[in-house]
Amino acid sequence: MNSMRMMKAVVRGGGPLPGVDQFALARVVEGSRNLICLPGMSKRKRPELAASGAALTEHEKTLYSLIRSKQDMGIWSKDLKQEAKIPDNAAMKALKSLISKGLVKEVVNVHFKARKHCMAAEFEPSAEITGGPWYNQGSLDTEFIDIMKDQCLRLICKLGVATVDMVADEIKRSRILKADYQVQQIGEIVKALALDNDIVEVKSTGIGEFASIQPGKSCYKCLRLPGASKEPSKVVAMASVPCGVCPHLRECTPGGIISPTTCDYFTKWLDF
Amino acid sequence: MVSQNGIKYAVHIVSTNFGDLVAKVCECLLRRGPLTYQNIARSTEISLPQVKNCLLLLIQHNCVQAFSLEPAGDAADLSKPINTKYIALFDNIIHRTRFSKFIAVVSEELDKECVELFQGLLQHGRLSLKKMIDRAKSGRDDCAVEDTIRGNLAKLLDSRFVERCPAGEAVLSPPAEEGTGARKRGAKSSKIVAKSITIEERILDAAAPMEAKRFLFTTDADCKKTSENSSEVLGGEKRKYDSLESERETSADDSHVPWRVNFEEFLHRFRHKACVENVRERLDGGAAIALSAMLEATRSMEKKVKSDKTVPLSINTIYEEVMKKEAGRSMTLDHLRASLALLGCERGSNDLYMIDLKAIIKHAQTEEVEAIVLKRYGRDAYRIFRLLMKTGRLQETDKISGTAFVDKKETPKILYHLWKDEFLHMEKVIVTTPRQLQFLLWKVNRSTLWPHLLDEMYHTALNLCQRVAYELEQENEILNLPPHKRVGPLEERFTRLRNVRMLLDASLMRLDDALMLFHDF
Ligand code: SF4
Repeated sequence: MNSMRMMKAVVRGGGPLPGVDQFALARVVEGSRNLICLPGMSKRKRPELAASGAALTEHEKTLYSLIRSKQDMGIWSKDLKQEAKIPDNAAMKALKSLISKGLVKEVVNVHFKARKHCMAAEFEPSAEITGGPWYNQGSLDTEFIDIMKDQCLRLICKLGVATVDMVADEIKRSRILKADYQVQQIGEIVKALALDNDIVEVKSTGIGEFASIQPGKSCYKCLRLPGASKEPSKVVAMASVPCGVCPHLRECTPGGIISPTTCDYFTKWLDF
Repeated sequence: MVSQNGIKYAVHIVSTNFGDLVAKVCECLLRRGPLTYQNIARSTEISLPQVKNCLLLLIQHNCVQAFSLEPAGDAADLSKPINTKYIALFDNIIHRTRFSKFIAVVSEELDKECVELFQGLLQHGRLSLKKMIDRAKSGRDDCAVEDTIRGNLAKLLDSRFVERCPAGEAVLSPPAEEGTGARKRGAKSSKIVAKSITIEERILDAAAPMEAKRFLFTTDADCKKTSENSSEVLGGEKRKYDSLESERETSADDSHVPWRVNFEEFLHRFRHKACVENVRERLDGGAAIALSAMLEATRSMEKKVKSDKTVPLSINTIYEEVMKKEAGRSMTLDHLRASLALLGCERGSNDLYMIDLKAIIKHAQTEEVEAIVLKRYGRDAYRIFRLLMKTGRLQETDKISGTAFVDKKETPKILYHLWKDEFLHMEKVIVTTPRQLQFLLWKVNRSTLWPHLLDEMYHTALNLCQRVAYELEQENEILNLPPHKRVGPLEERFTRLRNVRMLLDASLMRLDDALMLFHDF
């Protein structure tokens, strides 16, 4: 999937929700090529072998068929050389040539970012290699995830109480994010919002505000308004005093080297 | 078993209240468990009479309880001396820091005179009616004062703020299913029961007055009768010795029965308040009103502080109670029904409603722990921790990374950090086919994390206390200045000290709420 297409797909379409920075959206999406590699879309059209096929050397042929046999998992260049039993230099040369002919590409393996990982051009790397839909170039695409989270939070706040299906429907209907997000992916984002304590999961009682939701079904309510500070508003006991978050608590004793009477954290905290 | 920092905190409290000598005796008991007073003297190297005095003081203030074991076997063996032992009551020591909270509760419900009487009890630990009257009269012979005191004591008893003192010495029946004779065949369940009752609980049970007598007080006693006795010397010392010896209680005359503050009642109320506040914040005002009404209506029926569920009630009873409060009057029956549903109310047989209080407390505790994680380890760790808290099962590193949206590279580092600091439990799983792979699984282990955090809280409380003391000591000179001399920089220093104190005291209060949340609720 090409990133431009993706970018258009996302930005085009229905009116934005209030407060969404479309430019930020565009900027982020541009870098997020992996985001909508949905199942069934992972295979590209096979490049025209006929054109370049004839020109392949023996080594190139061996490497190419080996790489292709690994499909969307690809192979580490070192493993490749070993499995193909071709001398280092020759293998390197053949690989380079395959890449320049557009038959083989290098992909980032999320588990070993520094390794040279090869894959036949017609395959899209599997989720295991890319890290899944939320990864870009081997790193978690946090900027994009934050935007998705923000969108979902806005929708849940607007709806009052919402199930994942309702959020997914609303996203589809409002066409803010034109790409087809599966309910499952929206569900992942919503769950992350719940882990952030921005929304809370409640079971529908079927009455009052839950009237439109089947009783017993999981739904979500807003705890933090979009745009509000992420700092928890609740005053807690331990976390609001220096010792509660101090790395030296264990070594801190009255009269010791680290002690409450000489402690700098306290001095700063009590600096009126 | 009280944690190390819990003991240090308790010793600090005793030491600031009663001095170092008493604190030393108390520490010895806290660390070593029940001891005879000869043994205390031996291990603290304090003289016998001094130990005795310290114990008397601690008993007077309900921080120590005396007990002995009923001689096993033939009752004829009376020649053997009975070994009285003493046990420190950790909870009651910590309660000493909560006196201002207790007073606030009493002030809300009863008049000023009752509050004064209550304060007297806090100050003296235990008082008989006679002593209460003597204190109030201060030399005058006035029957009106006496009647007022009787009336006020009755009110305090009626609200259960005060109770009859336990027996001076508890007598424990020989441990049938404990100690060396514990090898009872089979019965696994009995083992669990035996384990969950500590020696301290057994002693307190044995010492407690009969439930029927606990709050019983005859108000119509004759004023003259107590006046006649008033010439008898019954100074503090005398009364204290009495409580050390076996109790000599004459049921005919209530005026010598010692009374004390009933800490348990306050814990009931604080726990209820904590539940209501948690629900208000997490759910909504309606749910809070409904829960508050249910707790209010059944408070006198609640047996123990840590009760798991509310007493079952019909919706009509709850509604009646709701309407008693200003805030509840706008609530319709339908609204109440919706609120009860929101609370996850369990509908038992006969359509009676009850609420899982234990779940609410668990929730409140979890919030406190999560806040610590957020502040100490950051937002990614917070999400991971909340995920593990929620699932409650072992989870594999990659799975955690995926669900919590934390980068695959970062996740193991965060998990390791949390594990090192005892927030998580880790298990390794090695899979050998097709090739050897090692997986790490993680979960939150509440049974070890909670006590660990409680210990840190005691440590923190102690640190705050020490800092208060230090700040006051530093500015001693200013505190001793008369107000008109506090000018310029001196005034600034004074203001700073006031702010420091306010912040430290408020933090300590809040921390104490958390201590109760984890220890008493
Ligand atoms: S007193 Fe200071 S050093 Fe000691 S635990 Fe508290 S914050 Fe840390």
